[in-house]
Amino acid sequence: MTITTQRVHWDLNYDVHLGATWGRFMAGLTERKILANRCPDCSRVFVPPQAYCESCFVRTGDWLELPSEGVVEAFTVAWQSFRGGPTPPYAIAGIRLEGASTLLMHYVRGLDLSDPSNVREQLPPGTRVRAVWAEERTGQILDIAYFEKV
Amino acid sequence: MATRALIAGAGITPATSPRKQRSSSLELVQEAVWAALEHSGAAPSSLDGIVIGNIDGFEGTVLGAKHVVRRLGLGTELPVSILNTGGTTGGNLIQVAARQVRSGDRHRVLCVGGPTFFGAEDLQSAINTNSPMVVEQPLGMGAYHMGAFYPSAYAERFGATVEDFAVSAVQDHEHASRNPYAHLRNTLTVEDVVSAKPLSSPMTMAMVCPVSTSANALLVTSESGAAGLRPVPVLIRAMATSSDPYLGGGKNDFAVMENLAILARKVYQLADVRNPREEIDVVEVFSPYAPMQPMQLEALGFAPPGGGIDLIRSGATRIDGDLPVNLSGGPLCTNAGVAGELAPYVYVALQLMGDAPEVMQVPGARRGLAHGTGGTFFQFENLAILERQERA
Amino acid sequence: MTRLNPSAAAQDPIPVLGLAATPLVPESNAVLDELVFDAVFQALREAGIRKHELGLSVTASLDIYDGRSISCGLTNAASGGYLAQSYRIEGDAGQAIIAAAQTIAAGDADLALAVGVYNPEVSAPDRRAFLQQISNYAFEPHFDRPVGLSAETVLGLHAGHVVDSGELSEEQLAEIAAAAITRGSARAHAARRSPVSPGEVLASAPVNGVLRELMLPAECTGAIAVVLGSLARARRALRPRAVLTGWGQATSDTTASGQWLHNPAVAARRAAQEAYRRAGVTEPGEQIAAVELTAATPALLAPTLDALGLAKGGVEVAPSGGALSSFPGVANGALRLLEAVRWVEERGGQAVAHSTDLLTGTVADTATVLVVEGV
Repeated sequence: MTITTQRVHWDLNYDVHLGATWGRFMAGLTERKILANRCPDCSRVFVPPQAYCESCFVRTGDWLELPSEGVVEAFTVAWQSFRGGPTPPYAIAGIRLEGASTLLMHYVRGLDLSDPSNVREQLPPGTRVRAVWAEERTGQILDIAYFEKV
Repeated sequence: MATRALIAGAGITPATSPRKQRSSSLELVQEAVWAALEHSGAAPSSLDGIVIGNIDGFEGTVLGAKHVVRRLGLGTELPVSILNTGGTTGGNLIQVAARQVRSGDRHRVLCVGGPTFFGAEDLQSAINTNSPMVVEQPLGMGAYHMGAFYPSAYAERFGATVEDFAVSAVQDHEHASRNPYAHLRNTLTVEDVVSAKPLSSPMTMAMVCPVSTSANALLVTSESGAAGLRPVPVLIRAMATSSDPYLGGGKNDFAVMENLAILARKVYQLADVRNPREEIDVVEVFSPYAPMQPMQLEALGFAPPGGGIDLIRSGATRIDGDLPVNLSGGPLCTNAGVAGELAPYVYVALQLMGDAPEVMQVPGARRGLAHGTGGTFFQFENLAILERQERA
Repeated sequence: MTRLNPSAAAQDPIPVLGLAATPLVPESNAVLDELVFDAVFQALREAGIRKHELGLSVTASLDIYDGRSISCGLTNAASGGYLAQSYRIEGDAGQAIIAAAQTIAAGDADLALAVGVYNPEVSAPDRRAFLQQISNYAFEPHFDRPVGLSAETVLGLHAGHVVDSGELSEEQLAEIAAAAITRGSARAHAARRSPVSPGEVLASAPVNGVLRELMLPAECTGAIAVVLGSLARARRALRPRAVLTGWGQATSDTTASGQWLHNPAVAARRAAQEAYRRAGVTEPGEQIAAVELTAATPALLAPTLDALGLAKGGVEVAPSGGALSSFPGVANGALRLLEAVRWVEERGGQAVAHSTDLLTGTVADTATVLVVEGV
């Protein structure tokens, strides 16, 4: 009998700490607010908010609420997913919310994804999108269900 | 006593898919280690350190190196350093070993790259835990999707088409067909690449790396440690790493490999390279997704912004061009995890030693550039300039 | 003003310019990178330098505790790695400190940082069981894992062997433990904050073999950062705290050889030899005033002291209380250094900090030894 492999299984559950910064962001989402914070030195605005600015290496300061609209700066469409992932095809974009120095990564829905060759023209540079909120919000990034073209 | 670090031996095993692989992970590592020792002529008892990588979630073991290193026939006393920086682990191994040697603490350190992906069934899910959980992971972004942001933005900026992106895939495969150690050795046409199954736009399945199994090893020595060894020694002339923020959203312009460009300037400064295109004879860049390659070549200063694809198309990066790139076929044709990430350094070292398989050897190569990248949205980069040291 | 005048016997004296720890608590309510940032920010401020001056940041952490593959991606910027040089070692912080020191000795940086972070992403009641599950996963998968080997089991086997061989009785183990816990109980970083008697140690929950809960390390979480500088650069630092004069690292053998049972501190011995050679210490028993060692159980105290060449002589053993008073997982190596530095700041002379990763107990552990002297 030729035995060449042996199954090795991991079964790991974690309770990942959110910390105060992301915790506050998530609380904002339940209230349909997109909160950001700012570096006191360089004034960059972070969404999702950060506890510190990696560039200036200082703790961030003020919090502010951002509009839930912005511009798509980069995107891709997943034609294939992965085990445990969403059902393809789905589009993910890097969205520049107004006033933000970072991109918020999120789904973009409402596109016609039936033909790979006509996807790009549906999200030309500068396309404006707005957040669509989930009916039930529990304090996670998918409280924003997705973004859609304005 | 501070010293310079040299590469004085290299070993590599032929790659294949996990399904076809008959050796265990341990056996592959043994093969690579013994090949490196034989190539160098170093006795196992002359080693004084091992630097090895584990990417735990991908491997089904936690710090599996602890057990592997004592089964290599190298005795039971070598001090072991285990690194894990995900996709840049391989490239970092050599930098860590180099510092151990440069500090005077070690004279002959073996860097070991194991076949990380071997046996992982839920590989993509494990990889996905690297995605920033809580804020980006729930968006169903696997590695391919993150990788696709770059060419997507590049296409938008410079008008590159899927056919344009296919060019580096065709070339990497052509090179791999002449590399007896490569996994995928089939040649492809542009049409083959373009008509393959779409994956994450603008990438097709033929533009992304395979899951390979292979192992490799490099012997890093001090100047005195290189004495008496067979290969022409290769000096690690300059090396550095650089990192982006964790969240993909923390980058600025996806049409440019900004972090790599910053790193390249640093490394060129350290090596006093004034004109990279002219002064570098052979290059191995880590482009597991074909569209990354032209962007990386631009960031490394070999082409202007938007000029990467023309550079490849011109034939300059072919084995007979003035800037041979990825004669190994790169990770697009062989990606064996940590071994895959150490591979650029292994192949550049072999080229400079004149010990690469004849059909893929660049004649007279004196100075080479080895690159690695990895992490969520390719957060981490590593880079080194290696130089052949003629014996007196 | 600095008045650095390190011992001429040291090969590469490397001043310690800053050392900071987040509060060491049973469970830190923070994301890992926030812990790292707080420790690093504090250490840099103490050193009087900015993140941008760092030549290298080395982090010690483990994916599997952090609940993420490539968890260093999360913590990298907090360690000062943004657009800078960095990497992550999966092992104890002592290894990160040595890597930072080597980089300076190599002439590759004038300022380097090492940080250890440990906050297993599993909430308290389940944590011990989780940590041992991880330990089990770290054992050899085909032979060791299926028979339930874990760090506690290995430590239990060793302690049982020590008792069976007549070397120490259970009561004596309890005395050693009680003394350590009590000694550390009033100190700033103690996880066990009350004195205990040997009776209380014996009465604590049995965990494995003869080992009770109070005979095993006092788990806590947090991050600890160390800033090192070259001697040249350190002369202009605010207030160097100590000088690292020697370092050494070694790894022991795997399960089959039995070395973990019969010669459990062998890695400490080789690491110490290397460290003393660098530091120019020829008679450790006479030249070392205090040792902050890491003995996971009372049964490991004597073998470890012996391995460090400190079994004889008047050396002060684990003044902080050691691992039984406070053990912040992979950040332990940095805590041992912190305590050793505090010792030489108060008393002068030379001290040793010893650590090891307890992931698989005394099987295949990597030990680090650091020698520090006062400024």
